[in-house]
Amino acid sequence: MSADHTRDPCPIVILNDFGGAFSMGVIGGCVWHGIKGFRNSPYGERGYGTISAIKSRAPVVGGNFGVWGGLFSTFDCSVKAIRRREDAWNAVIAGFFTGGALAIRGGWRHTRNSAITCACLLGVFEGVGMLVQRFTAQAPIAPAYPEDVKPLSA
Amino acid sequence: MNWFQSKDDNKLGFDPKQVEDVSTFLSNPQVMESAKLHPLAGLDKGIEYLDLEDEQLNSVEGAQGLIPSRNWSDDLCYGTGAVYLLGLGVGGAYGLQEGLSNLPPNSSGRLKLNTVLNHITKRGPFLGNSAGVLALTYNLIDSSIDAFRGKHDDVNSVVSGALAGALFRSSKGLRPMAYSTALMAGAASAWCGIKRLLQ
Repeated sequence: MSADHTRDPCPIVILNDFGGAFSMGVIGGCVWHGIKGFRNSPYGERGYGTISAIKSRAPVVGGNFGVWGGLFSTFDCSVKAIRRREDAWNAVIAGFFTGGALAIRGGWRHTRNSAITCACLLGVFEGVGMLVQRFTAQAPIAPAYPEDVKPLSA
Repeated sequence: MNWFQSKDDNKLGFDPKQVEDVSTFLSNPQVMESAKLHPLAGLDKGIEYLDLEDEQLNSVEGAQGLIPSRNWSDDLCYGTGAVYLLGLGVGGAYGLQEGLSNLPPNSSGRLKLNTVLNHITKRGPFLGNSAGVLALTYNLIDSSIDAFRGKHDDVNSVVSGALAGALFRSSKGLRPMAYSTALMAGAASAWCGIKRLLQ
């Protein structure tokens, strides 16, 4: 199987994922907290409320997304390097470690639960991705063979 | 298809007029050297399928940076990621130092660890988030100016740095805005200088 060219090779892709997840979080956080700040401000203060909500909240959302994405990518690369194969289990294992690492300050139970939840979530993602791939793939078409050709009788 | 458009300006990596039939190709094999045909494919590492559509390098003039970049989203992700990680690291180191110097006297190891971790997680994400937002704004403005002017040079970098700095502090009043504009323009020109040195 040829290598996956849509993503960059492993150690450097961590940087890409950090940046991509952070940007996604900041832009999404701008929209989310902009609307929230607008709706939660009194009339006359809505513009100010929007700006200040975006200023205080959007970078934090971006940071949370970025740390999650970067950690996940780091674990994904490590798992790939250790298992020496690329399949759906990589993402599940990486999700397990990511969820665990992010919750590690909350104690043993919290870490375990978070790791399992995260692994299940990633498993669902991978499963849905596989299903979509299967349904969008073109069905194989059987080659058209000629009818039974009788051997030439001498 | 890019193939047909790019034949005349020789982006194929070989001159199609030199390989008109098999005998010219066989007598002169250097014309189609594999490394020249596609830089990212890693042809020296063995057989790979080529996907020429997806892997075009950035065609904007002067856009070839330290790592190969395909388009503006690559610039955005790598630039933001690197600066964010740098800010996180520097802020975390500062928090570590601050936490170690503020250890509560005669306390348990668990409390000490918690103090240090609290200081790290207070300083690191704050600096990382601010630096990351600045880098994100800078890269967005920079790519827009690049696309508008059709080339990438130091002027673009410095201008977009200044604009990003101005936008970052725009709600704090004129004086902080001027400071952050000057600071970001300086940082952008320093980055241009570093890029020159490393290339």
